[in-house]
Amino acid sequence: MNDSCRAARKPLPTLWSCILGASFVLLLVMFPESARGQETAAFFKQNCYSCHTINGGRLVGPDLHNVTKRKDREWLVRFMLNPQAMIDRGDPYAKQILDESRGVVMAQIAGLTRERAFLLLDLIEAESALEKSQFEGVKFSDRPFTAQDVFQGEQIFKGLTPLANGGPACMSCHTVRGLGLLGGGRLGADLTKVSERVGGRKPLSAWLVSPATTTMQPVFKLHPIEPEEILSLVAFFEDSAKRVGDDDSVAPLTFFLIGLAGMVLVLGLFDSLWKNRFRAVRRPLVSGGEMRTDA
Amino acid sequence: MGNTHNYLDQLLFGVAPYLALALFFLVTIQRYRAQAFTYSSLSSQFLENERHFWGMVPLHYGILVVIAGHFVAFLFPRTVLAWNGHPVRLYILEISALIFGLLTLLGLMSTLVRRLTYSKVRTVTSISDIILHVLLLIQVVSGVYVAVTCSWGSSWFAASATPYLWSIVMLDPDISYVIAMPFAVKLHIVNACLVIGFFPFTRLVHVLVIPNPYLWRKPQVVRWNRSPEARN
Repeated sequence: MNDSCRAARKPLPTLWSCILGASFVLLLVMFPESARGQETAAFFKQNCYSCHTINGGRLVGPDLHNVTKRKDREWLVRFMLNPQAMIDRGDPYAKQILDESRGVVMAQIAGLTRERAFLLLDLIEAESALEKSQFEGVKFSDRPFTAQDVFQGEQIFKGLTPLANGGPACMSCHTVRGLGLLGGGRLGADLTKVSERVGGRKPLSAWLVSPATTTMQPVFKLHPIEPEEILSLVAFFEDSAKRVGDDDSVAPLTFFLIGLAGMVLVLGLFDSLWKNRFRAVRRPLVSGGEMRTDA
Repeated sequence: MGNTHNYLDQLLFGVAPYLALALFFLVTIQRYRAQAFTYSSLSSQFLENERHFWGMVPLHYGILVVIAGHFVAFLFPRTVLAWNGHPVRLYILEISALIFGLLTLLGLMSTLVRRLTYSKVRTVTSISDIILHVLLLIQVVSGVYVAVTCSWGSSWFAASATPYLWSIVMLDPDISYVIAMPFAVKLHIVNACLVIGFFPFTRLVHVLVIPNPYLWRKPQVVRWNRSPEARN
């Protein structure tokens, strides 16, 4: 018996060796998670600032100036950790916040722990005591939008004008009514009425400074949108809210049907490419048919 | 509840990929050293060839293109985003990807039905084949579902999934890119880990055998040396 045959009779790798190896790798990768940390102010800027100011007026969410005097800390922390649960529980103050925010539910913040929530409240309290908080809100131009702004916003939305800092085009994940053809992406929300939903130009602009949804945040913290781009996008969203374009809700079905038709075409191509293929191997031979030596 | 979700997300997206990769590399190498002759697709083409064609060909060409697409977006995300910067180009890419995804799905369904309904093929079907089929079916169905309902995958894959995958490669997993994704996307990722981890225990190892001429070889030539009279 040669070596190859002897090797072939060796047992399969044992489960233990697999588990040991996997456990080793597991230990290696547990470390980096704990090493990541954020300062409270940076955390606030990245996660809260798109919807809240401190003494700068209301955006999508309420102005947080002196919020710890309006409600006790324990309640605030519970709300910060899970706003939806508080609303579902029927908490009257949570419902009031929801109504004032035009039905926009505060997103659950990734990485927010109870300890960090208390640190955020400390920060808000300290900033509220200042005459001018660093979180007073970003100032945007309030000049009237022009047709050029709307056009430029549409170009950015579609990706025809790339975002200066390399962020993906809005159309990658979002759609607005009236885009035509197969419309925009559907991973994120339909943005046709986003301007009305979040309360107009100022909150929408602030939101775009550091988009706070869990999906967008990690992408745009590395590729922030420039103020001029925000202006154009907001102009486009305000315009799209006014327009009643074609309803593209059938776009996914159209997309699927086009894919299906393409698949049938490719199958036809396969059939014609391999038209001389064997249609059976043993059958004609065993049944005494003609001897075949070709394909 | 929030913390429970956190731990589960950490486990599924921060730890499971490493377990899968560890299994993949360790067992693949050990199996090749111990049982080199088991590196085979164990083809059942000789048992039945007609239905096999409509499973094997769409499945292989479909899955190769789809996997290549994932690799391109992983290696060249900026290029993919630049290509998708024009809606028409985006649509062409997405439709092409969907066509090959559907071909994969059709091929997989066809091979599964053949394995379950054709007695000779069923006889040579192992438990590992069945598990692999189920895993692949979940993977392809979730992939096609994501492509259709969570469009446009080629763009957001390059923007979100690629940084996540690179964070895995760099041993610094950043799961924030994927934890808020829809269920179907998460299922696709977790099931991909299962497929990678299970890979070395299955006939899938045949893809690692180089050279691999399955895709371009000439059709099989079979010669019958005895005349029909001699057989009777």
